[in-house]
Amino acid sequence: MSNGEYLNALADLFPDVHVDVPQLPQDTFVAGFENSAEAQKPSDVRIARFESIALLYSREATRDAGHVRALAGCDWDSPSKVTECANHFVETTGRRLFRRPLLPAERDRFVAKLHGWRATIDFEAAVRLTLGAMLQSPQFLYRPEPEPAGDVGAIVPLDGYSMASRLSFFLWESVPDDAAIDAAAHDRLGTAEGVRAEAERMLDDERARRVYWSFHRQWLGLGRITEEEHSQRTGEVDPEWTAATSVSARTESQLFVENILSKGGTFEELFTSRRAWIDREMARIYGVREPSASGFSEVSLPSSERAGLFTRVAFLGSTSHRGATSPPIRGNAIQLRLLCQAETPPPPGVDLSPPKSSPSDGPKTNRMLFEERTSPQACRGCHEGLNGFGFGFERYSASGAFQTLDHGLPVDARGSVVGTDVDRAFDGPIQLSDTLAKSRAVRRCATLQWMRYALGRAPEDAELPAADALTDAFLRDGHIKAFLLELVTSPSFRMRRLRGPT
Amino acid sequence: MKTSRRNLLRALGLGALCSLAGKSSSALADPTPVPPRVVFFVTPHGHVPNAWTMPVTGPTDQVVSRSLADLPASELSAVLRPLHPFRDRLLAIEGLSHTSVLADVAEITRTGGDLNSHSISVAGLLTGARALQRNGAPCTGGARSIDQELAARTSAPGRFGSRVYGADYVPNATVAPFSFLGPGQASPIVGDPATAFSDLLGYAAPAGGGASREEMLASMRPSVLDTVAREYEALAPRLDAEGRARLEEHKNLVRELEKSLGTAKPKCDVGVDRTGHTVTQFMRLAKMAFACDLTRVITYVAPVPQCPEIGHSAATNVHGYAHQSIKGDTSCGQTYDPVAEAALTDLGIWYAQHFATLLTELDSVVEGSGTLLDHTAVVWVTELATPTHQMHDVLTVLAGGCNGFFRTGRYVRYPRTFANPLKDKPKTGPAHNRLFVSLLRAMGQPDAVFGTREAVGTDGSVVPMGGPLEELHA
Repeated sequence: MSNGEYLNALADLFPDVHVDVPQLPQDTFVAGFENSAEAQKPSDVRIARFESIALLYSREATRDAGHVRALAGCDWDSPSKVTECANHFVETTGRRLFRRPLLPAERDRFVAKLHGWRATIDFEAAVRLTLGAMLQSPQFLYRPEPEPAGDVGAIVPLDGYSMASRLSFFLWESVPDDAAIDAAAHDRLGTAEGVRAEAERMLDDERARRVYWSFHRQWLGLGRITEEEHSQRTGEVDPEWTAATSVSARTESQLFVENILSKGGTFEELFTSRRAWIDREMARIYGVREPSASGFSEVSLPSSERAGLFTRVAFLGSTSHRGATSPPIRGNAIQLRLLCQAETPPPPGVDLSPPKSSPSDGPKTNRMLFEERTSPQACRGCHEGLNGFGFGFERYSASGAFQTLDHGLPVDARGSVVGTDVDRAFDGPIQLSDTLAKSRAVRRCATLQWMRYALGRAPEDAELPAADALTDAFLRDGHIKAFLLELVTSPSFRMRRLRGPT
Repeated sequence: MKTSRRNLLRALGLGALCSLAGKSSSALADPTPVPPRVVFFVTPHGHVPNAWTMPVTGPTDQVVSRSLADLPASELSAVLRPLHPFRDRLLAIEGLSHTSVLADVAEITRTGGDLNSHSISVAGLLTGARALQRNGAPCTGGARSIDQELAARTSAPGRFGSRVYGADYVPNATVAPFSFLGPGQASPIVGDPATAFSDLLGYAAPAGGGASREEMLASMRPSVLDTVAREYEALAPRLDAEGRARLEEHKNLVRELEKSLGTAKPKCDVGVDRTGHTVTQFMRLAKMAFACDLTRVITYVAPVPQCPEIGHSAATNVHGYAHQSIKGDTSCGQTYDPVAEAALTDLGIWYAQHFATLLTELDSVVEGSGTLLDHTAVVWVTELATPTHQMHDVLTVLAGGCNGFFRTGRYVRYPRTFANPLKDKPKTGPAHNRLFVSLLRAMGQPDAVFGTREAVGTDGSVVPMGGPLEELHA
């Protein structure tokens, strides 16, 4: 499990337990994502954290007799009841934590330990210690998918319980609930129709908001606005910036993604919708009337100034230097993230600092300075595309505020979409957003990134035709929910390749 | 060229020594009353040479040195001056070279990949090996780093292999951290002194045994961990090879934690002042960890301060100044700015002051016939030689002496006689990896090489990167 999955799982399993947990070591990122299966490796610090957190949760979840009774399902007031309660606790809690019924041997091991601890201390202590052990067990901390018998290399359907976990870890970033485990138990996840029905139920649940934000945050780097240099921006460098801006901007993008997509939104709306959920801080930067209440409320942003996610402060700010926009960085974000184009690093030794005009030259716009900087022949190959996208965003300052003047001169936000299926000249970020929203190349990139996120690994070459088919479906029906249902019923998600015992 | 150290040892007929890596048969298990330790004090951005180096008379094609013992503070360079109280236990080393990084940059220039020299030098500082290239992401460490290698050889029940503390100032999503458990696998960094303290306490505190119910519950921690470890054993046979390997690794770590509980000396959970600057708190934690023998290897990654903290305007940042800080050698097309040089010099002094705090803390604990500091090698390393991304002419401080292994009290200048693997760059001093070989020796390990074994200069000559830097030894 990634850190996010682990913490969500604990929160979902123990909704009435609230403890401060020590910080976990960072996830290892692979291609920008936190949940890559290959990267989930243990370390001494991680093991120590798992132990501390297991002890905290097991203590709080058994903090009084009522809580222990809820876990045990009965009162342990006679020897026969003790046996019954112990079995009930191990079977039901084990099933929820391990996302499948316990194997008889597993059940026997935990029951035997529980009775051993009961004899040393008491029943309640034994439940607490057993729960602490379960919370550190591999069946909880990892997502083992034991291999059925078969030829190495054969592609076989996933068993129902593994399927329930794949669905919930993908759509809820957490463990499956009892209903999903029941669906597996009743063999309802062996068909595409069954998987679709279960996924629909999960997507209608509040927990599905997690997948929308978690995926888009990682894919588009939207969390960066509260990290690294952006967490240190000040009004001294960026006039519009205050101590509250970073977090406010991130929350605004989070609410946009969650509210648009969890209510049946489309991929296109991510690019074009003017709906926004803003607080006073964002109202100030967007230049709209402040919400009367504190917190975030819905407004519609001016149609001539804003469109979707790529015209909002979290994206615009995190793709700027402190105090100055960088068209190449913004252009690179579009190419790398939205078009899945490989990054070409600048040649060694070139000037990567924000260009400044010399006092003798008179005022210049940022665009003029970048045009000069990237005019040498050696730069043009890459910068035709980088600047082509990036100049379109010059309507926004480094803080993401809308601007018509730059250093006293009118802003020129004309650009060109290059290297896609929708190449064209455009004027300004709204036309650019509209264009990208319709591109097949963007849709295909999104499909590949969704697959990587859903599978916890990069798609294999053999899966690329399936990715094309998913892309086609995504173009026909742009609703994210419909796309996710196609994805979870696709062979990549429902099948596995046998790797054999060696 | 990347060489497995173990293969090399085997090739040298030293295969049996590999068993030293095992925790059960460590050479360090012999009852040495005072064990050697190492601290890596890592500060980013290199040094301004004018502010660090000192004049030494002698031929430039030989190793030359001068004594620091009798110098007044005013004769030390600006960055070394805060270390004056410890001058008899310092080695100021001028002229090593991040040759493994230079070779890696040369190779990536030919083959393609993440060519950001800062990423490569961060990934390569403590590994001395080629960085791991990742498609669509900055490169990261390509091998186990020296601190983790030493950790693997000195851990024992009740003792952490190492502690990695300090700033994750470059989250590994963007640029690699410095310390690696293995290729692509960053060592976990503990950035919060309170958490670091409770980690140490977790080992130091007795595992219960009292009469109250809570004490009885606490005394069951080893029993719970034993139960957990058995679950890993039970599940492993049902998985494929990769899954089994991962569970095995996890199980071993659970077993180590189990064995460690309550093994540390109980007196060690007291007497740590947990106030003051975060850096200072970590320096004190290092003292506690060593004094209680809770680990023998610590890596501390210093934070990059905001400019006002080092007396400069908030309108820019350290990175903004870095490329402009060296007269005649700016980078990224920047022009020299004396203000930038002053800022980076002040940064070096700021780091030196924190380094001095660490030395003071270690020197405050009497151990055997000396202090903790006498038994430790405290090594101040930087991933770049200069803030302008040069990677030759590296400036290094080693303090302490590690039980008399190093001959301290000197400023040592290495000659630049080795070919540079990069075109249009000057000749270099000996490879920085060789300092790691010396540290391995100081810790009782017989290795001949750490990291990349040799590089090739642009003139075709082979640059050896193995063997210790014997001039530094006593």
